[in-house]
Amino acid sequence: MPLPGVTSPSFIYACTRFRVRRTTLLPREDYLRLMRMSIPEIVTHLGRREGYAQDITDLIHDFAGAQLIEEAVNRSLARSFRNARAIAPGDLQTLTREYLTRWDIANVMAILRGTVHNIPRQQVHDLLIPAGEIDSALLDRLLSFTTCGEAIEALKDWRLYPVLAESYRVCGEKGVFARIENELYRHYYAGLLDPGRSGCSGCQELNEYLRFEIDITNMRNLLRLHCEIEACDLAAIDQTMIPGGRIPISRFKQLYGIETEGEFVSVFLGTDIVPVLAQAIRDLRRDPEFSSFDAAELVWQRWHQRQRPIHEVEMAVTRSRLHRLESLSRRHPFSVLPVLAYLERKKYEVANLRAIARGKAFGLPTERIWQYIVL
Amino acid sequence: MPVDEIKPTRAGLLLVRRRLALAERIHRLLAMKLDGMMLELVKLTDRTALRRRELEEKYTGARETVAVATMMEGATGVLLAALSVEITPTFTARQKNVFGVCLPDLEPVMVKKTLDQRGYGILGTSSVIDDAANAYEDLLEAIIASAELEGGVKRLLNDIERTRRRVNALELKVIPELTELHRSIEDQRDEMERQDLVRLRRIKKIKAKRAEKP
Repeated sequence: MPLPGVTSPSFIYACTRFRVRRTTLLPREDYLRLMRMSIPEIVTHLGRREGYAQDITDLIHDFAGAQLIEEAVNRSLARSFRNARAIAPGDLQTLTREYLTRWDIANVMAILRGTVHNIPRQQVHDLLIPAGEIDSALLDRLLSFTTCGEAIEALKDWRLYPVLAESYRVCGEKGVFARIENELYRHYYAGLLDPGRSGCSGCQELNEYLRFEIDITNMRNLLRLHCEIEACDLAAIDQTMIPGGRIPISRFKQLYGIETEGEFVSVFLGTDIVPVLAQAIRDLRRDPEFSSFDAAELVWQRWHQRQRPIHEVEMAVTRSRLHRLESLSRRHPFSVLPVLAYLERKKYEVANLRAIARGKAFGLPTERIWQYIVL
Repeated sequence: MPVDEIKPTRAGLLLVRRRLALAERIHRLLAMKLDGMMLELVKLTDRTALRRRELEEKYTGARETVAVATMMEGATGVLLAALSVEITPTFTARQKNVFGVCLPDLEPVMVKKTLDQRGYGILGTSSVIDDAANAYEDLLEAIIASAELEGGVKRLLNDIERTRRRVNALELKVIPELTELHRSIEDQRDEMERQDLVRLRRIKKIKAKRAEKP
């Protein structure tokens, strides 16, 4: 075990490897080039690129067009993340493992839903991205079960099994999967915050970053809940809010009940979300005059009209968040931050390629697709 | 009794008169029904055209939202959310009576859902999925409303066609034939009356001549 304050060589080695891996990700110029290409040209381009070539070759007989690109980038994501977990030592591995649990949750929920609704196994299999702890062999075994009780029993060794077993009562009970899924994600965020409390290098900054992400997610979900015609009770807010953020859940509950502009704006201006939101909109609209107050007013307008968040603004906030993570990881080169920065950048590279392929398949204009790209 | 078998007697004349009166009454009623149905059809087609335009707009909107959802969440994310649906949207079919025509009356059941009823977890999805779900729920409602109106228009058109055929048959065949028959029976009866009169006069004359001879 390394002495406190001393960074172990394996830690430095791993961080350097992650920094090197980050440099292999697609640069901005490549995205500009991809934007001008048609789908077959994108397939050819990715087929020549290290990291995607093998996946494109493997899948080219089973899929075509945008579907082929999406399947190939998902596979590449799964492989990259498994490799990342394998090379990360100590605290880095804990963080990586916790971070990748998101994919385990998505896979488990897809299998349980597929089992209950009798969806063809191959269709469910195509939706799985084995990037987490649960490997392909176990996922295939889970797919072979005919009842979700058997599938849950087979997951006894999974870290989130207690949550699954506690929330699951009756197979096929209405709304149970949504409850389980919410509960699993709440535990996922709790698990992700845990390594940040261990006092490792960069953990304090990581914790701040994650807590801010939780705040943003909670605010977005509060807007989604408020869009409903029928008002939900405060217990439902409790179930859908993630604890651990900088903004307490009681503040979100307070916001939910507000229906006057002045009160809403003053409460919202007191949160840490506003400066980041204002900066994101300034970047998006190229309007240096856009103030925090304008951002609060914009959110109020959406809130008052019971509308969901604007997707372009959501993407702009994500860009701003990632930019912050990048600068933190540069400031703390031998910490958990470069690992998280690489994982996030890889996730968004895959999302970008998918967005370009899908946008082109739907015939959307290039400018529109560009709004959904996170660089 | 077929028209051809009606004899030029008083009973035949009464029968034809009754049939003619009945045919004229039916013709008047059917013509009124036809006018009513035409007015209803005009109203219904206006509403159907409006609904159809709305449906096309909603379809374009839904395609756009699902394109954005597929871009942001991937086809995988959209399909995973779609797999979560626990209550299948459907409709109840009843019928409403308009001028004796049974028009469909469709009521959507569990098409518009709340966030809870959709079955996916709020923490595992983003607002683009809500937008896509909302857009497709609206589209499904518009399809049901449009199907109800278009079904009504089709049935109304069928019935208008049938009624028009009946009105035309009455107007151009049944009533003229009965009128003609009525006239011919009256003519024949007049002729027979005149023949009887002539015969009676003749007999009277013969009788008078016989009486003059000793």
